Amino acid sequence: MLTAFLISVGVMCAITAVLAVLMIVADATIANYGEVKIAVNDSREITVEGGRPLLSTLKDEQIFIPSACGGRGSCGLCKLKITEGAGEPLPTELPWLSPDEQRQKVRLSCQIKVKNNLRIEIPEELFNVKQYEAEVTAIRDLTYDIKEVRLKLLAPGEISYRAGQFIQFEVPAYELTSEPVYRAYSMSSDPARNGEIEMEIRYVPNGICTTYVHRHLKEGDKAIVNGPYGDFYLRETDRRIVFVAGGSGMAPIKSILHQMVNENNARSARYFFGARAARDLFLLDKMKEFEQQLPDFEFIPALSEPDPGDDWSGERGLITEVVARRVEGAADTEAYLCGSPLMIDACIEVLKEKGMPEELIYYDKFA
Amino acid sequence: MKQTPAMDEIQRQMQPGIITRDGFLGRDRRKLVDILDDDNAEVNRLGLTHEAIARRMRELRDAGRKGIGLATRVGQGFEVQVDSVRGKLPCPFGHAGLVQKINTTVKNLASGREITYTDLNIHMIGEHGFYEGRGSAFRLEPSHLKEILAIPESPPPPSPDMPQGLP
Repeated sequence: MLTAFLISVGVMCAITAVLAVLMIVADATIANYGEVKIAVNDSREITVEGGRPLLSTLKDEQIFIPSACGGRGSCGLCKLKITEGAGEPLPTELPWLSPDEQRQKVRLSCQIKVKNNLRIEIPEELFNVKQYEAEVTAIRDLTYDIKEVRLKLLAPGEISYRAGQFIQFEVPAYELTSEPVYRAYSMSSDPARNGEIEMEIRYVPNGICTTYVHRHLKEGDKAIVNGPYGDFYLRETDRRIVFVAGGSGMAPIKSILHQMVNENNARSARYFFGARAARDLFLLDKMKEFEQQLPDFEFIPALSEPDPGDDWSGERGLITEVVARRVEGAADTEAYLCGSPLMIDACIEVLKEKGMPEELIYYDKFA
Repeated sequence: MKQTPAMDEIQRQMQPGIITRDGFLGRDRRKLVDILDDDNAEVNRLGLTHEAIARRMRELRDAGRKGIGLATRVGQGFEVQVDSVRGKLPCPFGHAGLVQKINTTVKNLASGREITYTDLNIHMIGEHGFYEGRGSAFRLEPSHLKEILAIPESPPPPSPDMPQGLP
């Protein structure tokens, strides 16, 4: 009796699996959705070939939605509103969508297959996003594991962005990926020099993009980027500023400091930079230059575990400890944080304890 | 052991492009049940259990979090860096919920050898005895884990004919 039951269950599972595979194959090879219309922000209508994910369909139409996982539904970044035509959220989307977002018809564009006419809403700033062809003009080691990569834009030849924003860098197919993938990097460059882009890229073991940049990319190579993206930028207020960063989190802060110099910005600013040992510090000369150019700016590097040979007289301890020691009366101060999510979460707690309202803490997590 | 249809479905979830771009199996062409059996035998041979390995991985990750993203000394023997990247992944074995993409890199200061593992690795080892297929970028060899994380051998399970609690 039990054997018969188990055999029945096994047969049912096998039939279900075979049918599922047949449906996937049929959907990929036989189904023809024809032309589909997508109404964008009720102001524009595009006609596309149906059958592909909305994220890549829009990219082909030069509408770039940020995505950090290449469309696998594992980053939750490619959200947009689909007000008509997409049906109910899929199980693969639900973990990423809050109840409020579900009510507002927010969806993950990488998970939506374009099968019928859609009506979508996209933030206006994404229409400023363009794809750029570029050439690598310089690569230099900032530390043993961080490289600075400079790109000259070729077509279009100029980019307009807010200091602090990021771009997506295309990694072509190579030994670690069989198809091009995109990864997001903050721009560290001076936004006034709009013909070039600079990035700071830290090597991550097995990282598809970081391995490509550290082991394969060379000066003279062509590159594709798209952007700008993001809402990490300096707010126009008179408040004092606390910057906190670690590692390649230096990038957007450096770009913001360029902007402050360009604008003769006199706001009081303190920049806390966390590193483990002296070999993890970089751009110290550039920070000194900023200290001379800006009337009330101080760069405060801190080492958490200096190496025995480090001749270090500066701040010691985790960056959270240094911020706790040095920041007082933060109610009228705003903060800009960039780095590891663990560091950012810990810093937010410290700054709140110092009286800083949470809504004045802006951050760009590597996450 | 024979592979069930349910395990066929799990193995399908582990293919490239389903949950992760590269999948969990690397160039391994064995059935999932054989991968699990072989690693289970290896873990037994090493005098360990999957639970003990996962527990040690978790302990070092938790201790490394104090570095808030930077490498930090843990005890006298290890340097640990815990970092995370954007995103969450589901367990291919079908557990509910998503696992945050957190990477832990442990360097054994005596040997100089290091190993990197994810929170999903910890879950899959502890709950399923799965170390990923050969050639997978995140494949973890049980022998490497034992050596680098300095995992002591687990006491043998009590003999079935010996009452629990007696020496």
